[in-house]
Amino acid sequence: MRLVPRLLLQSLAILAVSAVLALGVNFIRPDGPAPVLAAPSAVQLTKNGGVIGIKDAAMLFITGRAVFLDARSQFEYQQGHVQGAISLPPREFASQYQDIKPSLAGKEAVITYCDGELCPLSHNLSKLLREAGVKNVYVLVNGWSLWQAEKLPIAKGTAPQGSAGQSDGKPSGKSAASGQSAASAKAGKSAKSAGQGGICRECENN
Amino acid sequence: MPRMREQLTALVPWDGLEWALRLVLAGLFLYASADKIIHPKDFAVIVKAYHILPDPLANLTALWLPWLEVVVGACLFMGLWTDGALTLATGLLAVFWVALIVNYFRGIDVSCGCFTTSAEEKAPMLWYIGRDALLLALALFAVEARRRAGQAAQG
Repeated sequence: MRLVPRLLLQSLAILAVSAVLALGVNFIRPDGPAPVLAAPSAVQLTKNGGVIGIKDAAMLFITGRAVFLDARSQFEYQQGHVQGAISLPPREFASQYQDIKPSLAGKEAVITYCDGELCPLSHNLSKLLREAGVKNVYVLVNGWSLWQAEKLPIAKGTAPQGSAGQSDGKPSGKSAASGQSAASAKAGKSAKSAGQGGICRECENN
Repeated sequence: MPRMREQLTALVPWDGLEWALRLVLAGLFLYASADKIIHPKDFAVIVKAYHILPDPLANLTALWLPWLEVVVGACLFMGLWTDGALTLATGLLAVFWVALIVNYFRGIDVSCGCFTTSAEEKAPMLWYIGRDALLLALALFAVEARRRAGQAAQG
């Protein structure tokens, strides 16, 4: 055989054998396969929604990749909520959903929460959202208690239903926003700043 | 002078030289692969640090490259698919050399990852570049020795 075809054939054979060996051995390694592809994010969400952990929720909050929906009553929302969260009790879903719909666009996750391990509101809201065609809905079980326990950014005060807590500027609930009117806050704009609240001191009352 | 050079060249035992160089290269490649196979994730970090390949490709390279070195080393050692193995060995060394030089001029100080994945054994970039140049010269010399050995066998 001529030199060049021989070189090519032999090189290809060596490449093929090494590829088979590499992949084969990688998948039977005692310490488990090393990742073939780099993980795009530390937060690994299931495609069709489900339950989300507090660490993942916090990560998405900090990076502004999620919108938080507070499923509790308006009264409880005013007492304190995840900074930037939108109030959307399930019973008011029908009347409010169209208003908040633009806020959900472009987000990796829509996170619903209420308070308590067995609280059904966040699950109910999640179900309603899914029925409305929102697929990336995740329930943060016992969300409000966990959020407070981790001292993550919260806010107090009123915010119109169907819009993000744009009056939520204060990074910590200890010195809560005193219920400034957020009537002018547009839902989309509000959601944009929602996730950044945790680290953004400039987000106050934008 | 050309006649004298031909006579000297004829005296060189090219087949023996080719065999010896092949064994040296085989040893180098087999030795270089071991630590990378044991620590693929550490090696992936080193490959990514070169900032030449996108992340998924860097990861794949970190998995594949050590095994390519094993097969190339084994082929060189056994004299199997020798032409292909020598070509790949030379090509790999050339690619490593260029990658080091490119990063040197980009100002990126990388850990070579040539023989170990340990960050503790880091040396200056110029040392890596010089060492790789020598290895590349060795591989090219092996290719030339093989060519001459082939010619001597035919003639």
